[in-house]
Formats: sequence, structure tokens, C-alpha cells
Amino acid sequence: MTTTRCSRRKFLGAIGATAGVWLARPTTFLGRPAPAGRVAVGMCPEYGPEVISTMATLFDQLGGLEGLVRGKTVAIKLNLTGGAFDRLGYIPAGMTHWVHPEVVGATVHLLAKAGAYRIRLLESPMSTAEPLEEFMLQANWEPRNFLSAASRVEFENTNYLGFGKKYSRFMVPGGGLMFKGYDLNHSYEDCDVFVSLAKLKEHVTAGVTLTMKNCFGITPCTIYGDGSPEDEPGRVPRGGRGPFHDGSRLPAKSAPPLVDLSGSKEGGYRVPRVVADLVAARPVHLAIIDGVHTMTGGEGPWATGRHYVKPGLLIAGTNCVNTDAVGMALMGFDPMADRGTPPFETCDSTLRLAEQLGVGTRDLRQIEVVGTPISKGRFDFRRA
Amino acid sequence: MNLDPKWVPMKWPCGPLAWARRNKSKSGGAELKETLAAWAQPAALDLLKGTPVNCLVVEWADGAPEDSAQQQALKPLLEAGRRRGINFVGKVAAGEGVAAAVASARATGLSAVMLAEPSGHSFDLPVLLQFPRDKVAWKSATRIFSSTGNEWPGLKLETMQGDTAIAGPTGVPWVNSNAWFSLLADELAPGKTRWLDFDPPEAANVAHPANYALAVADSQAYGSQWIISLDDNLRTALLKGNPQATSVWSKTCETVTFFASHREWEGFQSQGILAVISDFLGDNAFLGGEVLNLLNRRGIQFQVMERSRALSTPTPGLKAILWLDKDAPSADQLANLLAFVRQGGLVIATAYWGPSGVMPKNRDPSLDYKMYNIGQGQIAVSVEGFQDPYQVAVDAHLLVSRRNDLVRLYNPDTTNCHSSLDPIHKRRLVQILNYSSSPVSFVTLWVNTRTRSARLWSPGVSDFLSLPGVPAAPGTEFGLPTIAVNCALEVEGLNS
Repeated sequence: MTTTRCSRRKFLGAIGATAGVWLARPTTFLGRPAPAGRVAVGMCPEYGPEVISTMATLFDQLGGLEGLVRGKTVAIKLNLTGGAFDRLGYIPAGMTHWVHPEVVGATVHLLAKAGAYRIRLLESPMSTAEPLEEFMLQANWEPRNFLSAASRVEFENTNYLGFGKKYSRFMVPGGGLMFKGYDLNHSYEDCDVFVSLAKLKEHVTAGVTLTMKNCFGITPCTIYGDGSPEDEPGRVPRGGRGPFHDGSRLPAKSAPPLVDLSGSKEGGYRVPRVVADLVAARPVHLAIIDGVHTMTGGEGPWATGRHYVKPGLLIAGTNCVNTDAVGMALMGFDPMADRGTPPFETCDSTLRLAEQLGVGTRDLRQIEVVGTPISKGRFDFRRA
Repeated sequence: MNLDPKWVPMKWPCGPLAWARRNKSKSGGAELKETLAAWAQPAALDLLKGTPVNCLVVEWADGAPEDSAQQQALKPLLEAGRRRGINFVGKVAAGEGVAAAVASARATGLSAVMLAEPSGHSFDLPVLLQFPRDKVAWKSATRIFSSTGNEWPGLKLETMQGDTAIAGPTGVPWVNSNAWFSLLADELAPGKTRWLDFDPPEAANVAHPANYALAVADSQAYGSQWIISLDDNLRTALLKGNPQATSVWSKTCETVTFFASHREWEGFQSQGILAVISDFLGDNAFLGGEVLNLLNRRGIQFQVMERSRALSTPTPGLKAILWLDKDAPSADQLANLLAFVRQGGLVIATAYWGPSGVMPKNRDPSLDYKMYNIGQGQIAVSVEGFQDPYQVAVDAHLLVSRRNDLVRLYNPDTTNCHSSLDPIHKRRLVQILNYSSSPVSFVTLWVNTRTRSARLWSPGVSDFLSLPGVPAAPGTEFGLPTIAVNCALEVEGLNS
């Protein structure tokens, strides 16, 4: 696995620059302050040509992508939750609960333009080992559009072993909140830069699903699924990630164990911890949220009380907790909220847990928001 | 009188034979005995007023002591029926008395007899043969022939929790359908009319009626006819004028009328990008039938090809061939197969028959196939052979690629669809069926054709509804209104 290296000089410089706010930050489990970075927000009322220009501006506002991706292999975890045939009413998935293909295409194009050597599009489609391209085609996406957006674009279904010879192990710094570590498809290790490309949505179990919760889907169901074998990973995924929600069974024994076998079986406790673990173990380098068109009420058409909405927002940041905090604020929620307060009425805050793991701060006072101010871009999901 | 493909058949159990059968199986009570007697009366034919049902299948001779009484009891019904233009087909059990029973049928004015097996006799009354579904003698099939052993269409009971459907391994509810058999029979007995014989579930009653309209639609949409068969409770309730029973019958007739008023669709040809080739006989019958069933359940549009006749004529639009049997193609067929591959086609098989010296490659780790590139196309050879029909269907769809889908349903829930083509006017027809007893909403149909609108036909509605298309490259989407049982879309224009 590639880790970001930081020289002593840079480290001290960073400390000097942020010393004021550092002292005010909450203490993390690892005894160091949670990082705070810049998050860019742009208005983009519709999908179309303006997506690419808006995203280009966002990346420029972040300081440009070149330093991050030039000559590197970039892995992008897409948010294509549920089945490819699922729709909210008659509306295609990309307009409601999937990241839109134009946002995917624009991201690929801009990464390539910034010098990325190879771009891998990743997702773990529900209950299947079929090629990711076929899953996309089922939703009437055209994978060739992504291939033509850059010179080296690859696809991989990460819900099973895929093209790898073995699963890659990611241990959670500090020992983990739910599991000590996670075994994932090789693509999450065989990359220099990891991008979480998410949708601006609420989530029935986790309150919100943004760039962090998107990473819930990096776990292979051959190990963590309802129908995974007891000892070793299955050949193909069976079922969904129910065991993460309800603790109904343990992952295949080959994977790192639970931290606490007697822990809660409640989804609102477990899912946020699994997500926080994952983003701590497999850091996100670039977090992007598609909020141009989306839905309220949950993460997919199966949620109750859902509506199709058009917030007209695109968000990007280099820290997933910071980015999700801004995303939450733009949705009309307080990112400092915790269990019992919207949107976390029945769950713990993934943002707080990730902050405690030292992944990033959720405190807006410490996050530099550039581009469209939150007050101008706010779209209240609970009043929509 | 000849067998007429325009007959719309219905089982008409009545009289002493029907009672003897139920009495023997202890499934009858006094009320049912009355019902069976009443259905033998001419007045019972009033039920058919205004419906397209014009052919009643009656029990005529069972080799039982009641045969004579049965034939006597039916005479008034037959006379009244004939005056109303109704035809009667008498069911005659196999045995020594077949010749006498047929002679009696002719003398009484029946239009035809239905025999369970070919007889050595030649009769001067049309004969309609009936076979168990897995033992159809395709070459002996009469102009109209019937099959038994069919499934009652609908959600499979094991996949139901209360009224909720549980998904199968594919994520879609597991349904029973006779569609695959209809498509197979269309190939193995071309030009013949198929009557599917199956009865409603025993649990059916007036409060929880069987989905009769679906039984009609699942047969007709795939070119067969169901011999309408009502459960005894419903028939008793109909006699009493029970409003719920009347409503069930009315809905059933609505669906029968729907198909009767679109007889031109019977001439449409099934569309398919995948040809499934087998002799569908002996050891190949089970795998062949199951693969067809599962391909259909996955919504893959396919063409069935009988092995000995396959590839003798060009098949435009075909993207792939699934050669199911272990038997190798004949020399001519191999030449045609290789020509198909060289021009960009895909052949999926259990053995490699291509030119020597071609090194295989793996395509995707999820597909256990060796891929041989030949010309512009490929031969995909299953590493482990075709063992699990489900896996064969899944793999075939992925190998062919969803890029080549002709149709797709979004929010399909419990629906499936069948695409066919008017060979003359190039109109395309997509029939959508709902296999649940609950209506489904927000289903979107995608067709790989660019078109501005389509005609939506629904049972119970005499005229079509013009449905606007929404461009969804490379095709068009149509948001369908709530579907109770079935509907059909006529799409103008061919593939773009």
C-alpha cells in the first residue's frame, strides 16, 4: 500500500501554520489533531457541459490536481448503490441515487488532463461478480464514454477477488472501532491515489451517505456478505452487506476479526464504525460529491419518503471528513450533530467517529470553504 | 370440419364423468355435484355470451362405466352450443374403446376429439393430440396440439413471504412461466397451434382467486393458447352470481378478448440476438429447457433453433450462438458457424471446433471461459462444460453483453417482457407481463430503437394510448402506466 510521506520540514511548517486551530481541535484516539483542509463548492444547476467546467474550477480551487495525480495510478470508487434496474419512479439512477455518468466522465477527463497515468473505475455491484462494464450497461450507461475520456481507463468489480491474486489487507490505525482491519480487492492497494466519488444523499442507517459512506462499498461480499463462506472468501459474492448492519454473522475467518465480539448489533452503531474504520485504513485522497440532481429521504429508491431534488451542487476536497462536513452543511444539517439530532436520529455520526480516528475534522470553523459559500449553496434536504 | 386455429378453448367439466373423477379422489361434495350437473345444462352457456370463447373441451370417454351417461348428459349442451356457434372437442382417454368413442363423438356433433396418444385408427373426425410436455412427439403434432404438465404462471410459492416476493439469486423474484416451452414448441412444431393444458392451484378460491388473466397472457404473449380452466369454487360461485366470481371471470375474458382482437400479433416473429441451438431431445432436453427458461427470466431475447435445421438460412441481427449440446456441428454447420464468427459473431460452446493453432485467452475472471479470437469474432469455450443451467444463462448474457440488449425493464419488480417483430411492416411489439397478483407501477421499458412514440395497448381498453418516448441513447425509454397483468407496446421503426 502506498502511504503519503511527509518530510520533517513540511510537518513542522504545517504545525506552524495551523497551530492556532490545532489547539482548539478535539483530541483524537491517536492523540493528534484531525486534519483540516480546503473544500471547494460550485453551483451547477444541470448535468451537461457545465459539469466539466465547474469541476475544473473546483480542482483549481483546491490547488490543482497535478501534484496529486501526475504519473500516478488513480482509483475511483463510484457510488452505484443497489441494482442497475432500480429507479426512483421513472428517473434514471444517475439523476437520483447514483453518481451521474457525466460527473464520472468529467472526473476521469480532468484527472487525465492533470497527468494521471492510469485511472481505474471501481465499484462492488450488488450481489454479482459480473464485469463492472456490464453492470453499467444494464443501467444504460456507456462504459466506452469513460474509455474515451482518458488514455488508460480500466474497470474492476471489487465485490470479489477480481483480477487480483489475493485480497489486500488494510489494518485500521489504532486498532479499529468495529474490525481490526479489512481485506479488500487488490485495486484499493494497487493505486497511488484513491478518489471517493459520491452522491449527496441521506442514508436510512447512517444518516448521510457522502464520500465516506461511499467507501462502505469497497468491502467484498465474498468475505463480508450474507452468503460468504465461514472460513475462506467465496468465489463470487452472495447477498449484500447485511452482516455489517446487524452482526448476524461474522466475515470469513480469513479476514481480520471483530474488535469486540459482544458489541452492539444495531445498524446505527455498527455501520458508522465500519465506515470510519475503512476511511482510516484506506485513506481517501480526493473526495468528490455529486449534488447536481439527487434524492432526499435515503440512499436509494427503496427508502421511504423520498423525493427527486435538484440542489445544483458539486463539492470537492482532499479530506473526506472535511468534505462530508461541508456536504452536510449544504444539505441543511449541522456536521457537529450526533446521535439523536438530524440526520443522525437513530445512529452515531460517522463524521465524529472518523474525526476521532484522526482522519479529518468536521468542524466547519476549521475547514476552508472556497467557491460558493455554504450560505449561498445550502439546499435543505428536510424541507425539500 | 377441420381443427381451427381460431378456436378459443375452455375446459368445461360437467356431467357424470367429471363427478365420478372428483368422487373418486374424494374432492367433491353435494354442492360440487350440483355445479357439475348445472354446467351440463344449456343455460350454463350464458356465461360465454360476449366472450371470445368459442370452443369447449368436454370429457367424452374415459373408459369408465359413466361414459355412456356422460355422452347422453351432454347432448342438450352440445345442441345448444352448436346453435350459438360453439365448437366442442371431446376428450377421449386411450384404450380399446377409442374408435367407438370417436364414432359416438362424430354422431353427436363434436367438432374434434382430443386423444392422449396417436391411434392406429384413421377417424373421420379431426383429432387433436395431447402430450405430456416433456414427451411431445413433435413430428406427430396435429395442427392443433396440446401439452400437459405445464406450470401455473406466477410467483413461485417458495419465494413468497406473505404477499411479498423474495428475490431469487438474480435479484428478481422467481416466477413460474410457460414462456420457454411456447418458444421451444414454436421452433419444434412450426405453424402448429399450441393449447397449453394446466389447471389453477388447488388453493384457489373465490376470496383468493387464481390469476386467470395471467394464465391467459403468459400463454398468448408467447404464441400459445391456454385451455381456460376455472377452479370448482369459482364455477360454483359463478352459478350463484357471486359478484367477486363474476369480476374474476370478467377480467379473464378481458384478457382473452385483448389477444383475440390482436390476432395479427400471432404472426410476429420472436426477436433475439442470441440463438440457442440444441436438439432438445433425450439427455439434452432438461438442460435445453432450463436454459431457455432462465434466459427468458433474465429478460434476454433469444431465438430457439433446432440443431438439425440450425444455420441453414441466414439469421440477420444475430450476435451470438449458444451451442448447448455436446454433439459437434455437422461439417456444413461448422462452416456456417465459423463464417458467423469470422464476421464478428460469438459462439458459446463446450468444445472448441475452430481452426487449430489459435491460443485461447481469458476474458474476465468472473467468466470461466476460454476465448478464441477468430477473424472479427470469438468462440467462448466453457472450461467446466455446461453443468448448471442458471450459470449457463448468466454467462451467456454476459458473454453476449448487455450492450446488445434489445429491450430492458427498469423497476421490473415482478414483470418480464417479450419482443417480437412484424416481418412485413417492420413493426416491433414488446409485450410486458406482470407475474404478481398485485399491480406494478413505475416500470420503464427501454428499447434499442430510436422512436418518438409508441402505441400502448392494454386489456379492457379498446383503443391504444400514444406513449411519448424519452431518448435514452442508443434507444428510447417509455414510462409505463401501472400494469395489472399485461400490456403491449407497438414501436414503429427498426434499430437505429
